[in-house]
Amino acid sequence: MRKQLAEAQQIEQYLLREMPAASRLVFQARMLAAPALREKVRYQRKTLQLVRWLAREEKRRELDQLFQRLMQDTSFNNSITSIFT
Amino acid sequence: MRTQEDQWLEEIYRNTLPRVAAAIYRMGGNLEMAKDIFQDAVIIYLEKKQQNKLPPEVPAAAYIGGIARILGIRKLKRSGPHIPLDDMDGDIGVPADYYAPPPVAKPVLEYVKAAGKRCLQLLRAFYYDHLSIQEIAEDFNFKTQHSASVQKYKCLEKVREQIKQSDYAETVS
Repeated sequence: MRKQLAEAQQIEQYLLREMPAASRLVFQARMLAAPALREKVRYQRKTLQLVRWLAREEKRRELDQLFQRLMQDTSFNNSITSIFT
Repeated sequence: MRTQEDQWLEEIYRNTLPRVAAAIYRMGGNLEMAKDIFQDAVIIYLEKKQQNKLPPEVPAAAYIGGIARILGIRKLKRSGPHIPLDDMDGDIGVPADYYAPPPVAKPVLEYVKAAGKRCLQLLRAFYYDHLSIQEIAEDFNFKTQHSASVQKYKCLEKVREQIKQSDYAETVS
């Protein structure tokens, strides 16, 4: 794996807390000394957050569709709407 | 063809949504709120399941009902003596970032969604769906597991740089 990808892998291990304690300390020291690495960590964290955020949005859309489909079924529809009337 | 998860979901909707809806109604919520809260509870349940973080021997319906109750209380801000928080099972938890706003500004979000679609799908398979490398190699037609892994890091880099670039553009504009 080329050097740059190995770095992305290392950042991943750091962010997912999959790094042994000693390596973690070394990595944190490297971040202190290297603003460029710090920035990569920051944006890679954002990437992971974005992936999770988008996945949840997609899941919500899928579940909305399922709900709309089930609401076409009269007995299901009644079992829900009767609660609120 | 419907998958096993689709069938499971349909059953959960039929069996558990009415119970959750009744609880949300008692808290003063409406149908739309009940639907949203229930669906968020289902998503949280599925996430915990994928991460093997579900408490043992708690049926799905009970877990989803418990999460929905917490979400309902939070949303409707009614934690009175009738709905105490301290009887919750310690393992039933809502992820801290669950209702977090999008991690990037909207234009950045739209740009990354359009420019990095396949990468985002691959990253989702790894980091959200927690599929095994073998499943990912098969689903995304990689010849070897190693190439799937290399591609993951390439995608991480690519999306990371896209966010960085558009974040900068956003800041200067």
